[in-house]
Amino acid sequence: MATSPSSKPPAIRIEGLTKDFALTLRGLKLRAVDNLDLTVKENQVFGLLGPNGSGKSTTIKVILGLLEPTFGSCEIFGIPSNNVRSRMDVGYLPEAPYFYRYLNGEELVRFYGRICQVPKDRLEDRVAEVLEWVGLKDAARRRVGTYSKGMLQRVGLAQALVHDPRLILLDEPTAGVDPVGSAEISELILKLKDAGKTILLCSHLLAQVEGICDEIAILNRGRLVLEGDLKSLVSERHRNAVMVENLPAGLEKELGAWLEAKGARLVGIETPRTTLDRIFLEHIGYRKEQGSSRQVDENIARSDAGKPEAS
Amino acid sequence: MKTIRFSPERVSIIARNTLLEAVRQKLFSFLVLISLGMILSSTFFRDFNFGSGELKFITDFGFGAITFFGSILAIVATAQLFFSEIENRTALTILAKPVFRSEFIFGKFFGVFLVLLFFCAIMAVSLAGVLYWREGELTREIPDAFADGRLVAYGDIFIFVFLQWLKFGILAAITMVIASFSNTNLYSVVMSFFILIICHLQYLARDAWEALGVLPVKLAVGLLGLIFPNFQLFNLGDQIALGERLPGELALRVALYGLVYILVFNAVAIYSFRKREI
Ligand SMILES: Nc1ncnc2c1ncn2[C@@H]1O[C@H](COP(=O)(O)OP(=O)(O)O)[C@@H](O)[C@H]1O
Ligand SMILES: [Mg+2]
Repeated sequence: MATSPSSKPPAIRIEGLTKDFALTLRGLKLRAVDNLDLTVKENQVFGLLGPNGSGKSTTIKVILGLLEPTFGSCEIFGIPSNNVRSRMDVGYLPEAPYFYRYLNGEELVRFYGRICQVPKDRLEDRVAEVLEWVGLKDAARRRVGTYSKGMLQRVGLAQALVHDPRLILLDEPTAGVDPVGSAEISELILKLKDAGKTILLCSHLLAQVEGICDEIAILNRGRLVLEGDLKSLVSERHRNAVMVENLPAGLEKELGAWLEAKGARLVGIETPRTTLDRIFLEHIGYRKEQGSSRQVDENIARSDAGKPEAS
Repeated sequence: MKTIRFSPERVSIIARNTLLEAVRQKLFSFLVLISLGMILSSTFFRDFNFGSGELKFITDFGFGAITFFGSILAIVATAQLFFSEIENRTALTILAKPVFRSEFIFGKFFGVFLVLLFFCAIMAVSLAGVLYWREGELTREIPDAFADGRLVAYGDIFIFVFLQWLKFGILAAITMVIASFSNTNLYSVVMSFFILIICHLQYLARDAWEALGVLPVKLAVGLLGLIFPNFQLFNLGDQIALGERLPGELALRVALYGLVYILVFNAVAIYSFRKREI
């Protein structure tokens, strides 16, 4: 492609999107998404946030052409969503995914790889690669019907990535996944971003989103209520925090007076707190670097190893 | 710029997966077993002791079992395999890939069509086998009746079952049309059985009303006969009575008739599925 960077279409462009669902035959309607404008630039992690029922999944389905917009339009890399071609560069992890129970993990990912026309000579390597990425290498030969919720999310991620898409849509990727699993998925998302991918992430788990998103949009009852760069949204610019170790008792007053003399004001002194997530991860012995090499359900996978495959 | 066009390969991947799912379901093996049981059991009702009569009886009984259970399989399997994709939300994942809706419908249809082919093949082979065995026995018992050699037209049995397969294909395509817009499995199954009955009986209406000679009625009945295929045409079983041979040209015409309806109903299913919200 010889287009200049400025004319390059964004990963996702949504204009004036409204989606009504007919509730009754008499014409009672529910407006799930209301006049939404949204642009997701390439190579960023975009968080689509909002309470349950705010229209996040509906928006994603319209982007994928699974639902027809009532009004408005959607484009992926400049191609309208109602064109099948727009889906060539997209990977999608549905909310609470569910797959053909009778296939094993490897067969499932291979099936989707072939659907996406991954070249035959590269398919096997690619399947093994994505399964390893999501930490399902040891469970690859087990039937999907025996997978836990977390493993379903992982195999869902694997099928979303198998054809190496440029844009990845993740609908609640960490719902029902334990904190270690969530941390690994966060890490995987950041790796994908480093590899130049664009990720649209839907979630209501704000703490997790905060760590990885570049930009966010918040939906409420189908309306966009806030959008912007995450860092500038959460930082309180006129305030600074100073961290001190072993502050002698009684020094607070002195410090306050000193600051006042310099024209600043001491607002408060408090003990910084870690998050429960972080404590949990520390005590579980999770370290970032080893993260993705950990295989899920290790104990089960190991006890399976000796037995012949039941497939 | 990458392009994408209709891919028979994707259709076949989806079809094979559908076949795999069908074979793993109990329905298929259940219907195969019960039909086999009926074909075999027909050899135990030996009210007739004159040779050729018994062979005719086995043939009729076998054709009946194939037609009956095959129709059930065509309707129930189609609805089941379609709605398992919708209800388990696997359709979501597939259609979010670069897959045309037409490829999805064709894939589902050909998957079911393959299931039906297996069913018909198993049935035809076992029916022919049972007939061959009884014919051999009877030849030994009453050689006079078989003075001219074997009586059963085995080729015609396979032609008959082949035509039944096409009829089941039409039925599966009709079920696909209904499933493509309806919300529940049960509704699709009930509606399809209803249409199956219409397709079997429509010739009666045609005969009755055409005699009246009123033009609007004639047109309406003609239209009805066009929309609903006439399943009576596939009932060539009676012609495969002993001795007589099935006219090849007739079989070919019926086969063509079946193929046209299969294509048309698939096209309608694709049109109606085109904008379905997943
Ligand atoms: N197929 C549907 N038919 C009717 N209402 C629907 C349908 N899908 C979603 N909704 C409604 O649309 C609203 C938004 O749903 P959704 O997009 O799933 O929310 P979120 O993903 O943000 O939790 C909800 O009120 C939901 O009940
Ligand atoms: Mg949702």
